[in-house]
Amino acid sequence: MARERERAAEAYRTYGPAVYRRCLRLMRDREAARDATQEVFVKLVRELSKLEDAAVALPWLYRVATNHCLNQLRNAGRRGEEPVGELEVASGAQPSFPDRHLAASVLARFDEGTQAVAVGVLVDGMGHEELAGALGISRKTVERRLARFLAGARALVGVQP
Amino acid sequence: MTNRCPSDLALEQHLLDPAASPLLAHVEVCPLCRHRVARMLRDGEDFRRYVFPGSVERVEAAAARDRRRWLPFVLAPAGAAVAIAAGLLLVARAPPGPPAGYEGGVKGGSMTLAVYTTGDQGVRALADGAAVPAAAALRFKVGARDCAALWLFSVDAAGQVTRLHPAAGDAAPPPAGGELPGGAVLDGQAGPERIYAVCAERPLPWEDVARAAREAAGGGAVRVRAGAALPGLPPGTAQATLLLEKRP
Repeated sequence: MARERERAAEAYRTYGPAVYRRCLRLMRDREAARDATQEVFVKLVRELSKLEDAAVALPWLYRVATNHCLNQLRNAGRRGEEPVGELEVASGAQPSFPDRHLAASVLARFDEGTQAVAVGVLVDGMGHEELAGALGISRKTVERRLARFLAGARALVGVQP
Repeated sequence: MTNRCPSDLALEQHLLDPAASPLLAHVEVCPLCRHRVARMLRDGEDFRRYVFPGSVERVEAAAARDRRRWLPFVLAPAGAAVAIAAGLLLVARAPPGPPAGYEGGVKGGSMTLAVYTTGDQGVRALADGAAVPAAAALRFKVGARDCAALWLFSVDAAGQVTRLHPAAGDAAPPPAGGELPGGAVLDGQAGPERIYAVCAERPLPWEDVARAAREAAGGGAVRVRAGAALPGLPPGTAQATLLLEKRP
């Protein structure tokens, strides 16, 4: 068991900064990001073996951290706490400015999988291929979810495509 | 961000091992990415200083708790697999791709390296991969045959190669009994630190040893932990290594 503790601590030390940065970017609050980072690792220690290969571990952690933070934000919105507000979008990201800000303002209305795609493409500025790899889904699924999100988001705010 | 700038995820991968990263050239010339990396490093430091120390216990406890939950179910198969596992362990501990003349390891071969520290329970020998306080005081003991020049040094995650013995001057044979005079105090920075001991049959310049150390383990935490054998040392040179995990 001491070995398990050491492995968990080592994984936390190695990948904790990346998860913390991800949480900080999405939550934009250091206290919330600290709590979220801990929560992510407490959940993940059951699957420590996945953290042994950095090429696999980082996209997986990124995905879990993204989903966790988006859930936290969505739940906070449901409880009537401070809403998500506008996420800090990547400057120069490929989609147009209105689409990116549309994503930030209506994100919480969508399911977890769609949110992850919307954030990856519209907020982080990731390419479809890279995002597909990070989320463990196909490029077609990325494109399908993105199209669904944009259509739904435009409908929600009454914007013509 | 320009069209060619990497995503945050790609930069995270870059930060795990900057020296081996395909993004290194881009980051060095792109002001925006340099700024992004600098900000990421600042946030990483925030994690190391203010998040990790107060939360690592909780993460460790969760790992131990989860292990206990599964223990009754794995005991029987584990017993049956002991012989196989023992064989795998021996293979797994050997460093990858040892160069000609490699004889080291923490134990065995013609060279041994033991590292000691003191704590609440008195003096203890440290195992490979042991966690120690980031500013722990260390003592060293080596065992080597035909050793005309002993170098003891460490490499950390920042790629810093630090001479531990001798601290100055040329290398000399180890003292009788192998216990090195003095010792070393770690730098207080959390992260992995790999200790190497090298024994050569003939005089061996420090510059050659330091270059081999940078090639083997310089350039980030992942490389320090991987701990490749020191390359390019003269035939007949023995080496041993041990990893320490410095905790805040």
